[in-house]
Amino acid sequence: MSGVWVLGERREQTLELLNAGLGLARELGTTVTAFAIQDQGLAKTYIECGADTVYLLGSLAPEQPLEDYVPVIVDVARQKNPDIFLISATPRGKEMAARIAARLGVGLGSECTRLRLDENKSLVMERLMFGGAAVQTVVCLTRPQMATIPPRTFEPAVPLANREGEIIELPAPPAGKVRVLERKPRVQESVDITEARVVVAIGRGVEKQEDIELIQELANVAGGELGCTRPIAEELHWLPENRYLGISGQKIKPDLYIGVGVSGQIQHISGIRDAKVICAINKDENAPIFEAADYGIVGDLYAVVPQLTRELQRVLKK
Amino acid sequence: MPRIITCYKWVKDEADIKVDTSSRQLTLDRVGYKISDYDRNAIEEAVRMQEQHGGSVIAVTVGPPSAKQSLKDALSRGPEEAYFINDPSFAELEPAQTAAILAAVIKGRLEYDLIICGEGSSDLYAQQVGPRLAELLGIPCATYVNKLALEGTRINVERKLDDGIEKISLPLPALVTVLPDINTPRLPGLKQVLAAGKKPVHNIGLKDLGLTCEVTLNTTGILAATMERRRLRFGAGNEDIRKVVDALLKEGVIA
Repeated sequence: MSGVWVLGERREQTLELLNAGLGLARELGTTVTAFAIQDQGLAKTYIECGADTVYLLGSLAPEQPLEDYVPVIVDVARQKNPDIFLISATPRGKEMAARIAARLGVGLGSECTRLRLDENKSLVMERLMFGGAAVQTVVCLTRPQMATIPPRTFEPAVPLANREGEIIELPAPPAGKVRVLERKPRVQESVDITEARVVVAIGRGVEKQEDIELIQELANVAGGELGCTRPIAEELHWLPENRYLGISGQKIKPDLYIGVGVSGQIQHISGIRDAKVICAINKDENAPIFEAADYGIVGDLYAVVPQLTRELQRVLKK
Repeated sequence: MPRIITCYKWVKDEADIKVDTSSRQLTLDRVGYKISDYDRNAIEEAVRMQEQHGGSVIAVTVGPPSAKQSLKDALSRGPEEAYFINDPSFAELEPAQTAAILAAVIKGRLEYDLIICGEGSSDLYAQQVGPRLAELLGIPCATYVNKLALEGTRINVERKLDDGIEKISLPLPALVTVLPDINTPRLPGLKQVLAAGKKPVHNIGLKDLGLTCEVTLNTTGILAATMERRRLRFGAGNEDIRKVVDALLKEGVIA
C-alpha cells in the first residue's frame, strides 16, 4: 500500500485535500502523495505543505482536456496501490474520479463532507442524499478507498518547516478522443459569494425583476451580497448563475443568511446549511424555510424588507 | 441518423420523505416515485435530437420490478421503445452496479451512436453512472453538458464548469451527461400517454445478464440531515423587526 493520495484540479483544492489527507495518514501511520498538474512550483509547494511524494503530471496539448490524465493516473495507481484516494469534487474532478474508479473497478463516495477512520481503519464517508434531506454513510469495500470532496470542505494545509519529499515526473498523456475546441473562462465577478459574510437571497416570492432593487438595498445596509434560488438564476435569469445557492449551486458559509421570499426547498437549504445564522422572511407561515431558520419573520416581504432595512440603517448608523 | 439511448432512474420523490426528528429516521413507506428530475432532461434532449435529425430513441432503466410503473411515463415523453432491466435485488444499487448492468445490456444488445444520461440522480446524486458507463463501454464522454450539436460523425458540446464554459468535440459513439438547464422537458398529453402503452418494452432479468454485481460501496447508514436552528418566529410589526435586528447584533453577525 502506498498511503493516501490527493488530486485537486487547482492549488487551493489540492491544499485542502492535503490537509484532510495528512490527518488520515497520521492516524494510519502512512505517507501522503499529491498530484501537481504541469507545474514544478506547485509540486514544491505541496511538499512544503506536507506531501511526501508529488507526481508531476506532464503538460497537455492545448486541445487536450484535463480528463486525458485519467489513463496516466490509473496506471500509477495500479502500480502503487494507494490505500485512500481523495479527489476534489469540481466538475472535472468528479468525472475523472468516476472514470478512474470504473477503470480500477472500485467504489467511490461522491461529494463527501466528512471523513473518519473506523476501528478497522476503514474510511467512513458521509455525504448528502435525497437532495440534502438525508446523510448517507458509506464505506468502500475495495482499495483504493475513493472519495470526492467538495472544495472548501477542509482548510488548506499550511507550509511546514524543513520539509523534504520526492517529485516524480509522469509522462504527458497521449491525446484521447476528445478535443477541446474553445475555453471561455467565466467572467470574474468582482465578488465571490462564497466569501461574503452576509448573503441576502431572493426567492420566487419576489414578484418582479425590478423589485430586486429593494432587496439590494437591504443587502447594502447589511454589508452583504445578493444570492438567489435556482429558478431565479436558471429560469428567470434575474441574477447570474454563480449566485444561486443549493446542492448543485453555490454552497456558502456566511455569518448571516437572509432569505427573502424563499420557500426553502431542501435543495436550496443544502447550500446554506453551514450559515452561522439563518433569517427568513416569507408570508407563508408554513414555508419550509422557517424550519431551517433561526429567525423567521412571517409577513409580506414588500412591507418587511423596507422596515428591516430602515432598522438596520438606524442601529448600524449607515 | 443518430441511434440514441437515454438512461433514466425511477426514484423516491424526496419531497414526500418524512422525518422523525428525535430518532433521525426517514419514513419512506408512503413516498411517491418519479423519473429522476435530471433524467427527464436527458430523455427530452434525446427526443429533441431525434426530431431534428431522425434516427431512434431507446429508453433504458435499471430497477426493481416495481419500477415498471415508470415505463409509461418514460415512453410518453417520446422514446419509441424501452429496455426494462429488473430484479428484486436492484432496489438499492450503488452507482458502480448500475453502470455495470447498463453496460452489460447495451454491449450485447444495442447499437447506438449516442447515450444521454442526466448529470446525476435526484436520490443519490453521485454523478457516477454516466462516466462509469462510458468507461465500461470504452467510449468518450462529456459531463455537465448544457448544449449539444450533432456534426456528422462527431458531437460538439458545451460543458458548464466551475471556471467557465468548455467547448469540446467527441467522435461517435459517445456518452454525454446533461444539466437541467439544457431544456425544459415537455409535459406529455393524453394522446402521448395512451400511445406509450402500446410501445414495446423489453424485459431483461438478472439471469439474462450473466453478471454478478459485487458491492464496492457499502451504505452503513442513512439518517435525516439535521440542523440545529432556533426556529424563532416573529411577525411583521415594527416591534418584532426591532427584536430581530437586536438579536442579529447580539449574535455579532452584522456590523
